[in-house]
Amino acid sequence: MASSHDGRSARQSKRLSVTALYLSMSNKERDFEIEDELARAQKNLRELKSKISSQSKKNFVLEKDVRYLDSRIALLIQNRMALEEQNEVANHLDEVEIQEGDFPNDDKTQKYGNLFFLLQSEPRHIAHLCRLVTMAEIDSLLQTVMFTIYGNQYESREEHLLLTMFQSVLTYQFDNTPDYSSLLRANTPVSRMMTTYTRRGPGQSYLKVVLANRINTLIEMKDMDLEINPLKVYERMIEKIESSGGTLPPDMPKSVTAEQAAANEQVQKLIEPRLSTLMEIANGFLTTIIDGLEETPYGIRWICKQIRSLSKRKYPEAQDQVICTLIGGFFFLRFINPAIVTPRSYMLIDGNPAEHPRRALTLIAKMLQNIANKPSYAKEPYMAKLQPFIHQNKERVNKFLLDLCEVQDFYESLEMDNYVALSKKDLELSITLNEVYSTHALLEKHSTELAKDESSHLYTLLKELGSAPPQLPRKENRAINLPLFSRWETAVDDLTAALDITQEEVFFMEAKATFVKIMRLLPHNSVVMRRPLRLDRIAEAAATTRNDSMMVRKGIRCMELLSQLQELGVVDKSDGFGLLREEIEQELMHLGSLKEKALRETVKLDEVLRTIRDHNGYLVGQLETYKSYLHNVRSQSEGKQRKQQKHQVLGPYKFTHQQLEKEGVIQKSNVPENRRANIFFNFTSPLPGTFVISLHYKGRNKGLLELDLKLDDLLEMQKAGQEDLDLEYVQINVNRVLVLLNKRFSRKKGW
Amino acid sequence: MAQSQVYQVVVLGAGGVGKSCLTAQFVQGVWIESYDPTIEDSYTKQIPIDGRQCMLEILDTAGTEQFSSSESTPASCRSIGPTPTQTYQPTDTTTPIGHGFLLVFSITSKNSFNELKALRDTIIQIKGTDQVPMVIVGNKCDLAEERAVSRAHAFAVSHSWNKTHYYETSARSRLNIDQVFTDLCRQMLQADAEQDRFMQAQEAVYGPLGGKSTSKRDLYGRHRRRRRRRDNGPRCVIL
Ligand SMILES: Nc1nc2c(ncn2[C@@H]2O[C@H](COP(=O)(O)OP(=O)(O)O)[C@@H](O)[C@H]2O)c(=O)[nH]1
Ligand SMILES: [Mg+2]
Repeated sequence: MASSHDGRSARQSKRLSVTALYLSMSNKERDFEIEDELARAQKNLRELKSKISSQSKKNFVLEKDVRYLDSRIALLIQNRMALEEQNEVANHLDEVEIQEGDFPNDDKTQKYGNLFFLLQSEPRHIAHLCRLVTMAEIDSLLQTVMFTIYGNQYESREEHLLLTMFQSVLTYQFDNTPDYSSLLRANTPVSRMMTTYTRRGPGQSYLKVVLANRINTLIEMKDMDLEINPLKVYERMIEKIESSGGTLPPDMPKSVTAEQAAANEQVQKLIEPRLSTLMEIANGFLTTIIDGLEETPYGIRWICKQIRSLSKRKYPEAQDQVICTLIGGFFFLRFINPAIVTPRSYMLIDGNPAEHPRRALTLIAKMLQNIANKPSYAKEPYMAKLQPFIHQNKERVNKFLLDLCEVQDFYESLEMDNYVALSKKDLELSITLNEVYSTHALLEKHSTELAKDESSHLYTLLKELGSAPPQLPRKENRAINLPLFSRWETAVDDLTAALDITQEEVFFMEAKATFVKIMRLLPHNSVVMRRPLRLDRIAEAAATTRNDSMMVRKGIRCMELLSQLQELGVVDKSDGFGLLREEIEQELMHLGSLKEKALRETVKLDEVLRTIRDHNGYLVGQLETYKSYLHNVRSQSEGKQRKQQKHQVLGPYKFTHQQLEKEGVIQKSNVPENRRANIFFNFTSPLPGTFVISLHYKGRNKGLLELDLKLDDLLEMQKAGQEDLDLEYVQINVNRVLVLLNKRFSRKKGW
Repeated sequence: MAQSQVYQVVVLGAGGVGKSCLTAQFVQGVWIESYDPTIEDSYTKQIPIDGRQCMLEILDTAGTEQFSSSESTPASCRSIGPTPTQTYQPTDTTTPIGHGFLLVFSITSKNSFNELKALRDTIIQIKGTDQVPMVIVGNKCDLAEERAVSRAHAFAVSHSWNKTHYYETSARSRLNIDQVFTDLCRQMLQADAEQDRFMQAQEAVYGPLGGKSTSKRDLYGRHRRRRRRRDNGPRCVIL
């Protein structure tokens, strides 16, 4: 993907794409597999990318489940859920993993294959649909669009088609929003599209690479209070005095107004250094972001570019200032700041941040947003103290926002990519039946708008498909591989015609490609590899290889091509086929750096995949906990009707202090280092849903301490964001202990 | 200044409906033309209610959907339903989600109105009761020619939500602004009085809760929780 975007001229980029296209097409003769380091590195990378794509889709779906259950479980804990609803939730939990399957019949497969090819290759239909659907419908549509139809997040064609769709939706919004101030601000299909887009692989890995360090450093400073709101600072002062048993001095009333708090000298003294610390930290964030210009995903920069050009078109008089505000409304408001304010949901940190760092992060985000907006007026008076920071960085941020827009368009390479796609006979989409049906249903619902024209392909397809089938129950939903094809467009066979290139060019490219292949297969220390390359010798060496008919054939073909090109006057034997030779040498160098690049990218993406997987583990764990809880509640209420089931005591299971520390269950310990080896814990479950944790000291048979835990309470604490459970000697992390209990005690039916 | 209760008001609603302008008009009496998206702002303001001074702490929120997400905010503050409206909410764990709520939409945007239902559902869910002090606000009523939500419809829907009061406001022309906050404040005072009666009845039965007198944050909904925790929360016994 990168090749078409890094500052090359458009002509050259077209040339490159043609070469790529050529290579890709001739690669279809499967007979000529290259097995060198580059090929392996590239294969690795490809696999990694496809794993990230599919894993991030899984997470997206899981997140929705967890969110849904989050809200349901809260009700359940409060005993406010009717039995039928409990059953519904239980159904929702079953069969989270969707099984593979096929379409009920071939005819359907064909028609849907055709429909989805059309949707994928002509983004305008979906763009139009996005404008018609309600906000309630858009989420599932976007899920299908971003993670399925254009789900190969690292495939340039799908990425570019998706961006084309964006452009169409953005343009519409610009054309239909009366004043610029409300552009890109409200929650609209566009805003949701943008946020969903930033959750795809490239956006995630950018955040990880660029922001995660800064955020983590800040998170670790749990005790650093950076509050600068005088009222809060004052309140905290009072609280401190009171909680340490002191009495308030007469000049410190318990409650004051914001103005009084701001006028208090002690408050001012506390705030003063915090202001400079905040500015320093925010400046660090800014520097990292600005230095990360080149790391910023192409798609995100391209969206910035669209915002710039659309606003210039709509407001020809607009100052850069106004344009930067709009770009900032996307880049900072929708991409960077959400990650700073809620880093956990972007997988940048492991736990929820403590109170102080959380507030600090919010303040940083506010500062960054203020630079992007440059409000003339500080609504919260205390923020005015940060004005110097805003002024100092205005220019720098404006320049950065405009620099973001400096990326190439992709239209030409998209055209090429589309040819390549057409030439591939095995285009497939991995999709679930319910995704197919819900997309169909949306198209059907809005068909009067979408398919007005009775001669349009969409009209024809929708008509043939008839009405959309209803959504299947979760258990019956299947993941299928839908072969995509077009009834109307035929595969490209005649390249010269399709691409409007001459026969000479075709020969030239073939010669180049074939030579490069030969050289990748020859041993590195072979004499013919010495520079300058002698093309005729290379061809000869290949043609006379023993026991390798493929190589021989390639060699002979090269000899033919050389003489044909010579006849056509494209190359000249007397200068050693200079023109061709130079290009081949360049290409080989390019391949060398390609390998380096592939390896570097692999390292980065490995990290991304790991993060995504960790997050997946967290989501799955959370679902498991809910599941057990629900089973437990249900079996309890069943138990009331039936005879009390015989309950078996589970455990005790023994854990050492060290084990629990390693698992993160113990997050803070007051046990002196040298005693820790003598401490252990027993976990017992006397009844489903009830646990006893006891703390023991080696050699003493009686426990030191015993803690009764109910699953309800743990979940309630988790819901309330209470992370630690105080066990006097140690502090236990609620989330981790839930995971542990879940692993250890999960009974077939409930705990 | 006399000791007075601090009530926390959370202003919720879609981005761009005028939450910040409304708040600024109320707190500072200024009109802000420019649109600067909010991340999280907080203000205090005292208002006289029936002769008493009432201190409000107002939290103006982002209204940008992605500022809330399932894991990052503590669950008690999450505002996530099966529907897509999500609004950033206070993440401070010691702050329960607020005592009173302004649910703001713009009369020029149907979508912004539709988003309120999910917000209300979430509040009710978190609070565990539908008796939550709340006002529905249709802002930008000066833009009559762009109206997309009729007054009758908004009123009917509000009414169907447990008779929630509905106001149409204009932050631009400072119309009905004080009324909205005054109404909400009355509701909070009343809820508090009921809570006190409930507490007194409880204490008569179980004896006093003991310990520190309740701090001003511990309001509404927290007492009950305390008691519950006492009865059957995690119990730690030193042996
Ligand atoms: N005409 C009119 N415009 C308003 C009104 N209230 C806010 N606005 C405009 O709407 C935009 C967004 O307002 P803001 O308060 O920042 O929205 P928020 O995102 O909900 O906080 C600003 O450009 C305001 O000038 C109003 O009552 N009438
Ligand atoms: Mg605002």
